[in-house]
Amino acid sequence: VPPVGMLLFRMNRKKGDKGFESPRPTTHQVVCINNINFQRKSVVGYVELTIFPTVANLNRIKLNSKQCRIYRVRVNDLEAAFIYNDPTLEVCHHESKQRNLNYFSNAYAAAVSAVDPDAGNGELCIKVPSELWKHVDELKVLKVHINFSLDQPKGGLHFVVPNMEGSMAERGAHVFSCGYQNSTRFWFPCVDSYSELCTWKLEYTVDAAMVAVSNGDLVETVYTHDMRKKTFHYMLAIPTAASNISLAIGPFEILVDPYMHEVTHFCLPQLLPLLKHTTSYLHEVFEFYEEILTCRYPYSCFKTVFIDEAYVEVAAYASMSIFSTNLLHSAMIIDETPLTRRCLAQALAQQFFGCFISRMSWSDEWVLKGISGYIYGLWMKKTFGVNEYRHWIKQELDQIVAYELKTGGVLLHPIFGGGKEKDNPASHLHFSIKHPHTLSWEYYTMFQCKAHLVMRLIENRISMEFMLQVFNKLLSLASTASSQKFQSHMWSQMLVSTSGFLKSISNVSGKDIQPLIKQWVDQSGVVKFYGSFAFNRKRNVLELEIKQDYTSPGTQKYVGPLKVTVQELDGSFNHTLQIEENSLKHDIPCHSKSRRNKKKKIPLMNGEEVDMDLSAMDADSPLLWIRIDPDMSVLRKVEFEQSDFMWQYQLRYERDVVAQEEAILALEKFPTPASRLALTDILEQEQCFYRVRMLACFCLAKIANSMVSTWTGPPAMKSLFTRMFCCKTCPNIVKTNNFMNFQSYFLQKTMPVAMALLRDVHNLCPKEVLMFILDLIKYNDNRKNKFSDNYYRAELIDALANSVTPAVSVNNEVRTLDNLNPDVRLILEEITRFLNMEKLLPSYRHTITVSCLKAIRVLQKNGHVPSDPALFKSYAEYGHFVDVRIAALEAVVDYTKVDRSYEELQWLLTMVQNDPVPYIRHKILDMLTKNPPFTKNMESPLCNEALVDQLWKLMNSGTSHDWRLRCGAVDLYFTLFGLSRPSCLPLPELGLVLNLKEKKAVLNPTIIPESVANNQEPVNSTNNHGQSVGFQNTFSNSQEEEEIDMDTVHDSQAFIYHHLNMLERPSTPVNYLLIPFYQFLLGKEQSSGEVNMHPVSAAPLSVFSKESNSSKHSDHHHHHHHEHKKKKKKHKHKHKHKHKHDNKEKEKDPFAFSNSPASARSIRSPSLSD
Amino acid sequence: MLQSYISEIGRSAKSYCEHTARTQPTLSDIVVTLVEMGFNVETLPAYAKRSQRMVITAPPVTNQPVTPKALTAGQNKPHPSHIPGHFPEFPDPHTYIKTPTYREPVSDYQVLREKAASQRRDVERALTRFMAKTGETQSLFKDDVSTFPLIAARPFTVPYLTALLPSELEMQQMEETDSSEQDDQTDTENLPLHMSTDDSGPEKENASVLQQNTSLSGSRNGEENMIDNPYLRPVKKPKIRRKK
Repeated sequence: VPPVGMLLFRMNRKKGDKGFESPRPTTHQVVCINNINFQRKSVVGYVELTIFPTVANLNRIKLNSKQCRIYRVRVNDLEAAFIYNDPTLEVCHHESKQRNLNYFSNAYAAAVSAVDPDAGNGELCIKVPSELWKHVDELKVLKVHINFSLDQPKGGLHFVVPNMEGSMAERGAHVFSCGYQNSTRFWFPCVDSYSELCTWKLEYTVDAAMVAVSNGDLVETVYTHDMRKKTFHYMLAIPTAASNISLAIGPFEILVDPYMHEVTHFCLPQLLPLLKHTTSYLHEVFEFYEEILTCRYPYSCFKTVFIDEAYVEVAAYASMSIFSTNLLHSAMIIDETPLTRRCLAQALAQQFFGCFISRMSWSDEWVLKGISGYIYGLWMKKTFGVNEYRHWIKQELDQIVAYELKTGGVLLHPIFGGGKEKDNPASHLHFSIKHPHTLSWEYYTMFQCKAHLVMRLIENRISMEFMLQVFNKLLSLASTASSQKFQSHMWSQMLVSTSGFLKSISNVSGKDIQPLIKQWVDQSGVVKFYGSFAFNRKRNVLELEIKQDYTSPGTQKYVGPLKVTVQELDGSFNHTLQIEENSLKHDIPCHSKSRRNKKKKIPLMNGEEVDMDLSAMDADSPLLWIRIDPDMSVLRKVEFEQSDFMWQYQLRYERDVVAQEEAILALEKFPTPASRLALTDILEQEQCFYRVRMLACFCLAKIANSMVSTWTGPPAMKSLFTRMFCCKTCPNIVKTNNFMNFQSYFLQKTMPVAMALLRDVHNLCPKEVLMFILDLIKYNDNRKNKFSDNYYRAELIDALANSVTPAVSVNNEVRTLDNLNPDVRLILEEITRFLNMEKLLPSYRHTITVSCLKAIRVLQKNGHVPSDPALFKSYAEYGHFVDVRIAALEAVVDYTKVDRSYEELQWLLTMVQNDPVPYIRHKILDMLTKNPPFTKNMESPLCNEALVDQLWKLMNSGTSHDWRLRCGAVDLYFTLFGLSRPSCLPLPELGLVLNLKEKKAVLNPTIIPESVANNQEPVNSTNNHGQSVGFQNTFSNSQEEEEIDMDTVHDSQAFIYHHLNMLERPSTPVNYLLIPFYQFLLGKEQSSGEVNMHPVSAAPLSVFSKESNSSKHSDHHHHHHHEHKKKKKKHKHKHKHKHKHDNKEKEKDPFAFSNSPASARSIRSPSLSD
Repeated sequence: MLQSYISEIGRSAKSYCEHTARTQPTLSDIVVTLVEMGFNVETLPAYAKRSQRMVITAPPVTNQPVTPKALTAGQNKPHPSHIPGHFPEFPDPHTYIKTPTYREPVSDYQVLREKAASQRRDVERALTRFMAKTGETQSLFKDDVSTFPLIAARPFTVPYLTALLPSELEMQQMEETDSSEQDDQTDTENLPLHMSTDDSGPEKENASVLQQNTSLSGSRNGEENMIDNPYLRPVKKPKIRRKK
């Protein structure tokens, strides 16, 4: 039972952290779902929020709710009127010809702001009954009870119902919550924010054969009276944000973790053996985190649920995580094991930071993602070793650098001054970064990547010990706060903010990390170094020149220390250079004289002393190799020039895997026998990190191709492979598989793939190599192996695909079987057999099918097989395993691009709208964006008005149920058409429009050039959220009322918005509300809390108007009058409202939601010629 | 009746013999049995010697086809004592003659591998061709559907099951390799990933033992090491609500 009758509380927060105080803090929420119908995919239930008013005149409560149908709202048992308005359903209203993305992005950001819970907004506005006003003024507790239902939800809750015989439990039907960032509003009304915490009571009544898994402790399970259903009662006493609430219901198999009895695992029927194996490792992750954080896992229990058709592979919620069922694997699978373990570890890290500790605001997200990513990295280091860890850090660094250079930067901690779009810190992007829901998915992924890299930089600065102390401090504060009552005002300690985090760091470490934060957190961009050097023999000095490019997009200037490591004959020496504004050259004194003391061993950085063959090096210089920023303590890209022999020494003798990988990449530019030897030696060295050896394979292939005319001996790597993996007696036959040594296994998989990239002088794959790969396939024998060879066989098919070169085509002849190249015939033979065998003996995750589909597309693309998407389309259908579908869809996307097929593009876009699996929908857009059929400024027959309209519609209204999908559509639109009006659209009919209001003639807004469009004012600002429509009377619970369809209410929004704008346009004399329809429209919303909404039951159609009618507008209104009469009738009770008109406020924001951005521009705008 | 009487004698006699730890019934067992069954054993000799008793004769000798002399070679083996004389004769001695031939068994590794590989390939090809012929197919070439027939892709109702669960063949293989204990001939210390091939054994056993415990304790309430997990608790009966 929630605490009742307590007095007001003001959130114990510093102003500025959040900038406002929630007017409606919830202390406790009950969610009760009493009916779940899998057949109809519907949910019926109610929520009850316990609210403590913080302001005396709180008479309206705003909550978040999307796609829920709300039947009835009661506040303290009194019926309450409510309005449901979701501006994100359709972002841009009016059938305007406005088609530029800038306009859309602004409008979308404004729409999201208008319902942003962090700003006190929401889609659902509940009017506190007047009887309670006095009660509220005394700041007494309110209980808001909302009955709702959900019918065929398109987002937020995902139903998986296999189409077969049997009961729902027998079919394995299940449902789970999903979504990107705060998406809880999709399945029940709440304050959908990460910063508003409350305690929870969750109840789910489900079929007796099903299990409902949710957050917190399962208190009890009780049968219903008919014994056919049971109710799961959950209690979550730790204050938790609504966005961290989740649910999974299905006929799950239950496994109690044998090591930790408070941990329970759930999977779909028949998968229990896999679940046992997969989760057998989890307790070690638990131990690791608890040990480094010196803090117990904050919740009293933990649940993992593995479900099908997952939205993301890993989703962390309070005390439970939802995983994709495809992460499950048996003991025979090698490749999936580390990946799955990583997912488990990631999920667990987020339990501490992300679920238990939540965030103050969106701009503090980086702290949570950073810390969870950072401790996950520590786990990686411990579990997979330092080599793997450093390799991963390098990989992440390369990724973020590439992304930032491409797009212009990722900003971790955006600060928004005054909400003006001019101050937009990310104006280089085609979306707003003000809200998580407007972010491109790729940007968000990179954001997380940068966050944990920056945490690592902070660790470098203050040491790991202090870092862990800070985390411990955050956790212990939070855990003290969590056990307190709401009234103690302590709960805000469970929210992390950037300033709080930084303060903690400075308290614990006593160090000032402000410059670091300024550089990487408050500012976007990475550093680009160019380095070169000369050795001055006379002075025995290394003259290092380090240049920076800080003018290209996505770059920033770096000033500060930079570590350089020089390996000399006498040892390895670290130097810290001070990078300053204008100094490019740095003199570094050398320690050793250049000499030829061949006998002496050379000491390395790690203290090891090795013999080297020094004959390759420059006789005058003692330098073996030089590394800039070896510890990756700057987010940077380094292009460094040193001679080939130095790279070779670095590859052979530097012990850091990152250095070895850098050397391999650099050696691609030096196709010499010496490079070949260095690479081959690395390949053979068993002590060398396997990933380095794998990388060396590909480099060797490239070098061999560059050296093709002078290459001697058998094709690269062939003899090596034979020596390592083939029988001693018969070198053409590979040994029977034994994958006990994983290093060899990975090398054995990779080598053929790299070898297939070899080309002879005619630029064909050498026959010898092809036969070699075919033999590997032929003699592959896995009977004695403990592990599955599905990944190995899949890579052999990849190797076959790699060996394919473009067909010699004569006069564009049609590809038939008769003119098929004999080598290709052999390849096809194998692919056919593999693909067919998959039907009889499917491989794990159908890896072989995936590889076969890819190979077939390669054959098509190279002109050996007629290009045809039919095969791929059949594999892309719903009902195939997700990996197979993605591979097939990728081929269709590629076909669409190469063959410029309008039909296929349409097919793909239809799937984006209709496919049952959200991940597939998202992935199609993602693949189309990465491999677009055409791009901006490119002539293509596909680029036409219909496509523009279709995509516009998709992002404007077609994807409102899935934030990620909508942002994906925006990304695609941007890739295809850019920011401005798509070039394929005809010019608007009128180049010039007259703005009657301002009595000016201006260029039609729809053809504003991009530069101007950029400067447009936000079309809608937050204080405009009062344009609420669809007021629904709820005094009676009659049948009639239930018939009111939310959809129709939404349909009328465009109309309503339009009119509201007219009402609010200050300079236009408008007659207000002469038409009865307006009586259920809300007037201007006011945050001050003025009362102007009166439910008047059975009132006559009283009319009030503020000003006399101007004929022009009344005509206009009449036009719509008729069609809305019908709707009006449904509302028995009318409300009249006064329309308060705050002229001053209006002036500030005169163009709210109008589609006339033109009015925002001055007459000085470019050419009026048209 | 006769049949059941006789079998009862047999059953009973066998029981008596087994009771005295023998396997073959002796005359005394039969006697005890008959006595037990209320039969007067004294009358038996007289009955056996009665005058009108019936005798089972040998089957009438049919005219056996006489094998021509020229075809017989050597002397046929005489019947041993337990075979009645009217049974056919043994085959001619030459039919027992064998001439062992000596050829090198195929043990060459290369040939074996070659054979295994081509055999498997043939089987696979024949099987897939058969499947392709009998079912729906897809083709890569519009003009030719038979050279590279692809079995048509058919969506599954529950696609993840086939994709994740190991096939029966693999399961069988796994059991085989487990029992034959493929030795880690190679350096397991150098494993790049801590995927615990060596330590998974005992761990797994532990896990399964514990798992058994779980199920045991789950079923037997009140045991000391009972796992207290809310999902294992029994579902409660609904409370009876009083009607207002």
